Amino acid sequence: MKTLNKKIWRDIWQNKSQFISIFIMTLLGILAFSGIHGYMDGMEYSAMNYYDQYNLQDLWLTGENFSEDDLKEIKKIDNVKDAERKLSINTTLDGYHDISLETNFIESNNISKFYVVEGEGFDINQKGVWLDSYLANYLKIKVGDEISFTYKTYTIKEKVLGLVDVPDHVYYIKDDTAIFPTHKDYGFVYLSINEFPIENYHVFPYVMVDVDDTSILDETKLKIENNIKAAKAVTTREDNFSYKGYNSEIEEGDTYSGVFTFMFLFIAILAVVTTMYRFVRKQRTQIGTMKALGIKKRKIIIHYVSFGFWISLIASCFGIVIGLFTIGNFFLNMEMTYFVVPEYHIYVVPDVYVLAGLTVAIITIITYLSCRTVLREKAADAIRVEIPKVKQSKFDLTNKGIFKNASLSTKWNLRDIARNKGRTIMGAVGIIGCTMMLVCAFGMLDTMNSYIDWQFDTLYHFEYKLDLDDNLSKVQLEKLEEKYGDATSKTYGIEFMDGNTKKANTLTVNDSKDKLRYTGHDKNVMELKEGGIYITEKLSVTLNKNVGDEIKWHIFGEDTWYTSKIVGLNRDPQSQAFNTTRSYIESLNIEYEPDTIYTNNNLEGVKEVENISKIAGIESIKTGILNMINTVRMMVVLLIAISAVLGFVIIYNLGILSFAEKQYQFATLKVLGYKNKQIKKIFIKQNTWITIVSVIVGLPLGYLMVDYIFKSALGENYDFPAVVSLMTYVYATIGTFIVSFFVNRALARKVKNIDMVTSLKGNE
Amino acid sequence: MKNIVELKKVSKVYQIGDNQFKALDDIDLCINQGEMVVILGPSGAGKSTLLNLIGGMDTPTYGEVIIDGENISKYNEDKLSDYRAENVGFIFQFYNILPSLTVKENVDIVKDIVKSPISTEEALKGVGLEEHSKKFPNQLSGGEQQRVSIARAIAKNPKLLLCDEPTGALDSKTGVEVLKLLRKQCDGNEGANTVIIVTHNSLIADIADTVIHVKNGKIEKVVTNEHPKKIDEVKW
Repeated sequence: MKTLNKKIWRDIWQNKSQFISIFIMTLLGILAFSGIHGYMDGMEYSAMNYYDQYNLQDLWLTGENFSEDDLKEIKKIDNVKDAERKLSINTTLDGYHDISLETNFIESNNISKFYVVEGEGFDINQKGVWLDSYLANYLKIKVGDEISFTYKTYTIKEKVLGLVDVPDHVYYIKDDTAIFPTHKDYGFVYLSINEFPIENYHVFPYVMVDVDDTSILDETKLKIENNIKAAKAVTTREDNFSYKGYNSEIEEGDTYSGVFTFMFLFIAILAVVTTMYRFVRKQRTQIGTMKALGIKKRKIIIHYVSFGFWISLIASCFGIVIGLFTIGNFFLNMEMTYFVVPEYHIYVVPDVYVLAGLTVAIITIITYLSCRTVLREKAADAIRVEIPKVKQSKFDLTNKGIFKNASLSTKWNLRDIARNKGRTIMGAVGIIGCTMMLVCAFGMLDTMNSYIDWQFDTLYHFEYKLDLDDNLSKVQLEKLEEKYGDATSKTYGIEFMDGNTKKANTLTVNDSKDKLRYTGHDKNVMELKEGGIYITEKLSVTLNKNVGDEIKWHIFGEDTWYTSKIVGLNRDPQSQAFNTTRSYIESLNIEYEPDTIYTNNNLEGVKEVENISKIAGIESIKTGILNMINTVRMMVVLLIAISAVLGFVIIYNLGILSFAEKQYQFATLKVLGYKNKQIKKIFIKQNTWITIVSVIVGLPLGYLMVDYIFKSALGENYDFPAVVSLMTYVYATIGTFIVSFFVNRALARKVKNIDMVTSLKGNE
Repeated sequence: MKNIVELKKVSKVYQIGDNQFKALDDIDLCINQGEMVVILGPSGAGKSTLLNLIGGMDTPTYGEVIIDGENISKYNEDKLSDYRAENVGFIFQFYNILPSLTVKENVDIVKDIVKSPISTEEALKGVGLEEHSKKFPNQLSGGEQQRVSIARAIAKNPKLLLCDEPTGALDSKTGVEVLKLLRKQCDGNEGANTVIIVTHNSLIADIADTVIHVKNGKIEKVVTNEHPKKIDEVKW
């Protein structure tokens, strides 16, 4: 069978364009899947290792102050392996413009341990700081340098002992108005508690807990809630900001992987079906000859099935490797400029091999099914040239209505489409896919821009957001309000009942006099009604609650439970929570003590204001988010490139198949005296029609794809509807036609090269 | 009589790998207008190559092909297309009609390229297919399909009707019908139409005005039939 093996490779070479298209489609499908999975699983497993090795806390306790006795009590609870207290304050880094530091004072570092990038590990007796390695890298601060940072009137000056990463700071952002990490104007530092600037004022509002057995974590959590009075809230990793934010990003990758892999593989399989069917039909007389020679049916089957098998196997292997080392590495490296996992690498889960194997199996089976019919024929029949089966359809569109007087080339092309439905559908699906991806690429940018407008032009109607210090006196507050205005809000950490489960969320009490605004379903600004609370639309769906339903809730740290009626739904792009008015809260006898002031005063260059812990300028937050859009742009470029390849390969493949079938007819036309230009026109007509119809179908499907991606890929906190602008549809249409134009040009060249004599002889 | 076809020192050489194959070797030939000419010879003799050069489907490696006083061997591709469209009707062994066009549409197709074609109805009537005009080729017999091909060729009202084994795929009875149509075409139009048939069937030679014997790429002999037989007199 060595001779037959030679035949495989020679046949592939002779039909290279068809086989190359099968190869590329399969390769792209597997490449997208393995690449996206490689980086997504790389993110997941690298973080898991990091969490394991550096002991991310299992539980997180918040309170006003955990005493040494509380700590001892916590440690005594069953399943608690270890517990550590933490004191956190916000400071500003001196000598730089507007850099805030989360400044942590700790007693030990066995939970959420430092990953020391440079310098030494934690020692309570050491005088100095351990600085966020990403911020240090950006600011070019080195071990041994001295930095100083300010808390209220206290300035702390310390030598940098180490540059570190910490597992509970994998994902962290400047404040709750930002959504994407930049590591440029904020960071964290750790110090020994002995370095706290106010003597004998050791207040520890946080405790991190490590457990022995995570399978009984809920019981441990309940025991702490019941036994430790100081613990106002006990939350798990799933509620941890960093852990949750990072996992959302991984889920996003999961959606991309699913969508794109499905599209590419579906098209690849379609391409294989038509290509292999046509290839085998072309080889019909050879199959007859092999049979006549006495080669067994099984061997002939193996021979033909080998085409699909080898092509898809090689494409799959290349797809896995190329996908991992290009898309996988590229996206993982890009993600890791935002997320802090010190040791990371792409990771291959068995799913990738399973899918690749499945693809090879499907393509092999399709190849088998394509040649089965020919193999069933008797040798005597198969060695004869097949009489073309031109069925005259009972419903021949070309003889009806407007088509009755259509040109011959129009009729000819219409009938050709009707006769070659498989090829036409394959071509159409390919072009639809190309258009969809172009809409998706540009639509992603549109959606992000629409989100920015919504958040920063509609919801935020202020220039600066001032976070107030805790426990301000009335006089201090009045002074600030006098200076910056009385547009304020207060955000409470609350716990509410969802059935029998307690869940954590926030309730924002808005007294901002239209500075912090709300929008309804259609993103139009709305006023909050009195008499109850508002819930964001997405959260209402998650909780299955609607207007008129009641919510039972309490403020973290307080025992009084309230039952509030939901009086309305609002829509928020980046925070799914509860909102209400000041008068409603006061009607529940809760004293309104604002924690934020919104102002339009110009605070450019102002670093410190007495009694204000943080000044956040809307413009700088907006800039941060615009930077994030660069990531989306990379994705857009990649999508456009893949769309172009996909479109080109499919339309070219369609054209080649169609050309091969019609070559002798074109040769006849040429002999009759048709000029190349006239023949090209006839030939291109069909491709152009299919492109037009496919674009019309592809545009709305593209919208649905963007919508699906944004609905599924975004984390539970986000709620942006897909927005696709008119220009995006225009770009996608033009883009698809550009691809189609270049393919047509390439194909039209073939018309010029038709050798009339050879073509007509070949047909005989 | 006027020469419609004149070949001067024509050679056609194919390069096959390192070797050269001479399909036609230094041929000189004249064909008179209004004659039915049969080019006869065994397989590989160069008959079809000769026909292709006369029909402007191929160009000679050396020499001149002069049709009605015009040297077409110097024509570019576009000019050759025009030449074929206006002057030449082709009939092939395997008909080469377009399967997705009806009988009428297959003939209509020449209207796009010929300035003054004869009407499709007339052409179809001439070959006796007017009743089948709406049928698709696969609904016709082989002989009927060849008649569609003849109708398409004569619809162009060509000076030259070039036929490459026109009866090769037909039974003898149908073959006779086809030959009668070709003779009719040659005899019509007051002697302005010339029909050239390439065949290896020597029986067809009896009905021709001139028989050109080709062997190994050369003209072996040219025989003029003083009294060509009528088609019905030939024993097939």
